[in-house]
Amino acid sequence: MSDTEAPFRISIPDDELESLKQKLALTRFPDELEDAGRDYGAPLADIQRLTNHWKDTYLSKWREHEAKLNEDFPQFTRDIEVDGFGTLNIHYVHKKSTVVDAVPLLFVHGWPGSFLEARKILPLLVEDSPEHPSFHVVVVSLPGYGFSEAPKKKGFGVPQYAEIGHKLMLALGYNEYVTQGGDWGSLITRKIAQVYGPKHSKAWHTNTPIGEAPHPTRRPWLLLSYLLFTLSPKEKAGLERTKWFQEKGIGYFKEQSTQPQTLGYSLADSPVGLLGWIYEKLVNWTDEYPWTDDEVLTWISIYWFSRAGPAASVRIYYEVSNQSPEGFARNIETPIPLGHSYFPKELAVLPRSWIKASNPTLVFESEHEGGGHFAAHERPEGLVSDLRKMFGKGGPAFGVVPGKTGYVWLLMLPLEVYVDRLSQVLRIDSSWDSC
Amino acid sequence: MSQALSSEKPFQISISSFDLTLLRQKLELVRLAHEVDNAGWDYGVPLSEIKRLTAYWKDTFLPKWHEHEAKLNEDLGPQFTRDIEVDGGFGKINVHYVHRKSAVVDAVPLLFVHGWPGSVLEVKKILPLLVEESPDYPSFHVVAISLPGYGFSEAPQRKGFEAVQLAEVCNKLMLSLGYTEYVTQGGDVGSLVTRKIAQIYGPKHSKAWHTNSPIGEPPHPIKRPLLLLSHLLFSYSPSEKAGLERTMQFQKQGSGYFAQQSTQPQTLGYSLDDSPVGLLAWIYEKLVNWSDGYSWTDDEVLTWISVYWFSKSGPAASTRIYYELAQAYPEGIFSGVQTPIPVGHSYFPQDIFVVPRRWIRAANPTLVFESDHESGGHFAAHERPEELVSDLRKMFGKGGPCYGVVPGKTGYVVDVIKFGGRD
Repeated sequence: MSDTEAPFRISIPDDELESLKQKLALTRFPDELEDAGRDYGAPLADIQRLTNHWKDTYLSKWREHEAKLNEDFPQFTRDIEVDGFGTLNIHYVHKKSTVVDAVPLLFVHGWPGSFLEARKILPLLVEDSPEHPSFHVVVVSLPGYGFSEAPKKKGFGVPQYAEIGHKLMLALGYNEYVTQGGDWGSLITRKIAQVYGPKHSKAWHTNTPIGEAPHPTRRPWLLLSYLLFTLSPKEKAGLERTKWFQEKGIGYFKEQSTQPQTLGYSLADSPVGLLGWIYEKLVNWTDEYPWTDDEVLTWISIYWFSRAGPAASVRIYYEVSNQSPEGFARNIETPIPLGHSYFPKELAVLPRSWIKASNPTLVFESEHEGGGHFAAHERPEGLVSDLRKMFGKGGPAFGVVPGKTGYVWLLMLPLEVYVDRLSQVLRIDSSWDSC
Repeated sequence: MSQALSSEKPFQISISSFDLTLLRQKLELVRLAHEVDNAGWDYGVPLSEIKRLTAYWKDTFLPKWHEHEAKLNEDLGPQFTRDIEVDGGFGKINVHYVHRKSAVVDAVPLLFVHGWPGSVLEVKKILPLLVEESPDYPSFHVVAISLPGYGFSEAPQRKGFEAVQLAEVCNKLMLSLGYTEYVTQGGDVGSLVTRKIAQIYGPKHSKAWHTNSPIGEPPHPIKRPLLLLSHLLFSYSPSEKAGLERTMQFQKQGSGYFAQQSTQPQTLGYSLDDSPVGLLAWIYEKLVNWSDGYSWTDDEVLTWISVYWFSKSGPAASTRIYYELAQAYPEGIFSGVQTPIPVGHSYFPQDIFVVPRRWIRAANPTLVFESDHESGGHFAAHERPEELVSDLRKMFGKGGPCYGVVPGKTGYVVDVIKFGGRD
């Protein structure tokens, strides 16, 4: 396979910046009901403030923001062939640790996320320390997101996204690897686990854990109201949150999974429309995260300036819903070890017993007091700490990628340390065998 | 409301040059979405349609706006606005409406109520037919209201403005025009509103109502046990099965807009108010999917969209009713359908909600008139104006079940002398 990897830097053409500026200057805002708060959607005051900041300040400083992005993310593109769909040019971040035997990790985002979500965890994951493992990190821009091409044909679903992630890792020389994913990234890394594990994918971690309800019924909430007596206060709160999302937060999902192109014209043509559509989720899906205006606008800009345009990003809902009419909580078992991080403001917060029953290879769990859907962005230290525990010495997935434990090879250290560490490693290895 | 103190003012649509210029500038900057190969209508409105309509809008329709505007004013004339006070702290809302009287003095006063994504424009074709004078069928004085938040009516400013308030506005409008007794015709949201009018203001003011969006609740073991029994014992006709198929398809594939508008209308609103092509696509998808092969011309579509784009309160305001209805009726809008006055139904097979006849009859005990059509969809007044008017003429005409339902306003010229007592 010829190597089509090329280094990539974000460099938005001047005419695109100019066009955005002109559109922003022509923004026509809707009115809003008195005391609407967030009940009816993203609040007008927020959207107006953000739009004005975008137009008057952020956009004129775009080259600074762009430079910072390029500094934080070493980026590349390469062609990847997908069975039945031809070749797609894929954008990704690839940051290696100085630790030669770092654990290769593929990070997969969702919607309305992007490669940007890895910004804070990247330096932490590659960091070298005797106290915790290091990772070589690959952050893929899913087809139709960021600076990756979008599929041109119908039917590009979870297996295809999984194929992209897997082939990318192989192309980078990572024959064996682990994955971390949330939102669509969770479904995709689960598919990677099912199709390419345990041969290639050795273990996977998600911050969007799911499980099947014990007795599917047309009135699950009626059933649940009986179960509420047996649930902990945290679990009850979690179900309340889940209920809120199903009842009030699901409009975008219904539209995107049925008429994505209709919606797409708005998202592609109106910067404030795109801003409103995404910002509502950035606020409602997080746990009181104090978004700065620059943070929000950088996030939106990745969508606005994306290679395939914002409309492409929502098609995944249509494709996957059509391919999985029975829902996403079926056939979720994987043949490899799995780790979960539980954040209380995630969108589906289900009783632990349901999750455990559906995930027999669950080897790691971590519960957090705060945090929501965008874990890597909201709680980077918390998430990385979980990965370090899961993959580090003494952890349930330590050494799961043979020869890539995530630690410096110990010959460089004083002999005593070497002897001490070697005996530790031998003890841990034998306990892993007995798992 | 006494005539002497009425705030009624004549109205003509007259879009400012500022608004026209802004639209032109936005159309010049349009950035279109890409599409997958061979998408057809599967993913939403096809790119080829949007490309064509957008180019036509910018290059042809908009430069000729004044002609279209003049035609609209002519077709919808005469138009008016007046202030209507709404109970419950909503204050005064300035309401836009069409009021066309028949030459027949005792014509039946009829209120026509549109829905979403409709507007007062939907009355255009049936207006001349309804007011027309003839010995063979009744005539109507027609009032077509722009619901608050639509067309050239103001929008409510406070939360909670739902069907009850819309009904109040409609009733007060009819009373203010001197029609203390009247009948109504409504589809879509207009059907809900006219049903509410019937329930609250009937039979005192609203005497009978007609809808082309008939509904009924499905069989239920506790709520509708006999219907359930019939459902289990007696099969449905092929056309009823086809209707159920269509209804389920709509629920599955076509109700994304409904879910969004019922939960986060403001979020959607930023797109609809800012992007003409976004608004076009959002509405055009329904114009095509909800009608029965209707051959929309580009001018028709763009006129329809323009009423939304240039609306007094902006397009976002029109979607809020879905949210308010979801809040006010958590059990859904398909229960509590009964009214104390006669109701008439027109059934069009390609409407979006087509359920078995026995469900509808069970839910509507005062059903006195039914009319089945071989074709036609959701926008009956626009797609099948002659058929809809024919139904109203049969329902309210001599020999019909609602003849003379408004005392003294039979819809006919008083003809005892003229026709030598043929009556």
